[in-house]
Amino acid sequence: MPELIEVEQHLDRLELDWPATPDLRHAVRLRIGVRRRPWFESRWAVAAAAAILVLAALAAYTPSREAIAGWINLHTFFRTVPHLATPTPLPPGPLGQRLGLGRQSTLAQARAAVTWPLLVPTSLGQPDEVYVGPAPDAPSGGEVTLVYAARQGIPAAGETGVGVLITEARGAINSEFFGKIIGPGTTIEPVTVAGSSGYWISGAPHDVVFVDSSGGVRFETLRLATNTLLVNVGGTVVRIEGNLTRAQALEIAASLA
Amino acid sequence: MEGRPTDDAELFARAQRGETAAYEEIVQRYQQMAFRTAYVITGSAADAEDATQEAFVKAYRALASFRAGAEPRPWLLRIVANEARNRVRSSGRRQQVELRLAGSYRPGGAAPSPEAAAVAAEDSRRLLGLVNQLSEEDRLVIACRYFLELTGDETAATLGIPEGTVKSRLSRALSRLRARVEEASIA
Repeated sequence: MPELIEVEQHLDRLELDWPATPDLRHAVRLRIGVRRRPWFESRWAVAAAAAILVLAALAAYTPSREAIAGWINLHTFFRTVPHLATPTPLPPGPLGQRLGLGRQSTLAQARAAVTWPLLVPTSLGQPDEVYVGPAPDAPSGGEVTLVYAARQGIPAAGETGVGVLITEARGAINSEFFGKIIGPGTTIEPVTVAGSSGYWISGAPHDVVFVDSSGGVRFETLRLATNTLLVNVGGTVVRIEGNLTRAQALEIAASLA
Repeated sequence: MEGRPTDDAELFARAQRGETAAYEEIVQRYQQMAFRTAYVITGSAADAEDATQEAFVKAYRALASFRAGAEPRPWLLRIVANEARNRVRSSGRRQQVELRLAGSYRPGGAAPSPEAAAVAAEDSRRLLGLVNQLSEEDRLVIACRYFLELTGDETAATLGIPEGTVKSRLSRALSRLRARVEEASIA
């Protein structure tokens, strides 16, 4: 061992093996983009605006457009997506970590972290990875994502390597769930799963919309951006993403328990 | 280290005027220091990442409170450390951070012989093992001073204690480390 007098010098010269520092610029930029705003620019207002955008999109693409348009007696606009950007290559690491889903957790920890009864599809069984995010004090009360690796009959989504992503949040519609812009070739179909209403969105990948620091709407492909089933099960908004057929997605949704 | 006072002043001024590109550069410049500090406090790389990200978001929203010309490191470290401590508190757990050696250590003088280098590496490993066995308070102050290479006011900001207390706390921590080194040497 070093002599006593050398201890401090020795400490000074130690080279530690630190975990790799993550590059936080992108995540921070996204988050500071949604700055604190007056009430009319609040997250709820942004969420409402995003919901209106989606309803407008639904009105444009589903047979019930007149009915849906009648619900919103407001000025709205369409933003079409002429082409969808190729996602940037993803760094190596756990599947969910690449997707920025929050903090990796276990199913038990996730159940303890949120206030609603977490739903797990019995048809898929236990998830391969579980993530909790965003922060529990978010308006939705947090969000949990179950990650399933590709398996027989469910190929990996090209952009991510994940088979199925199931994201759950409680309560109100927010821009995370509904801030999707419908691109060319995408269709939306209202569905009912065991008495719960939802939408089956298939076709071209979706972008996620967020509001930047200047208040402008921006689009980025963040997650699977494949066929998606959105369903509200007893107040829990469940989003099922993957290279799934409609029947596969409905089967998964019907087995949520 | 990362500090470049002149550029920092300009960067912070631009960030305060709402230039997000300037703030991104601040994040890039300080994220390693912030992340490692959070790692020492939380004991988990995942928690450290969450805490650091949250801290940079909070710091951005608190930019108006940053005094022009002030040193940014203590200001940022205080926010990062608070966030890391909050995370530990809210989760109700703290993982014991296991500091590990990257290699042997930075030799102070001429290149040592292979034998001397091997002895030094073993000494380093054992010394770090003893640091890991110290109390959290002792380990943190030693980590701030020697591993994160923070100054006195930066350590004070990180630990949330007066700068004067840093010296006494470090002195006591080193005494206890020396005692352990002595015990280990005798044994």
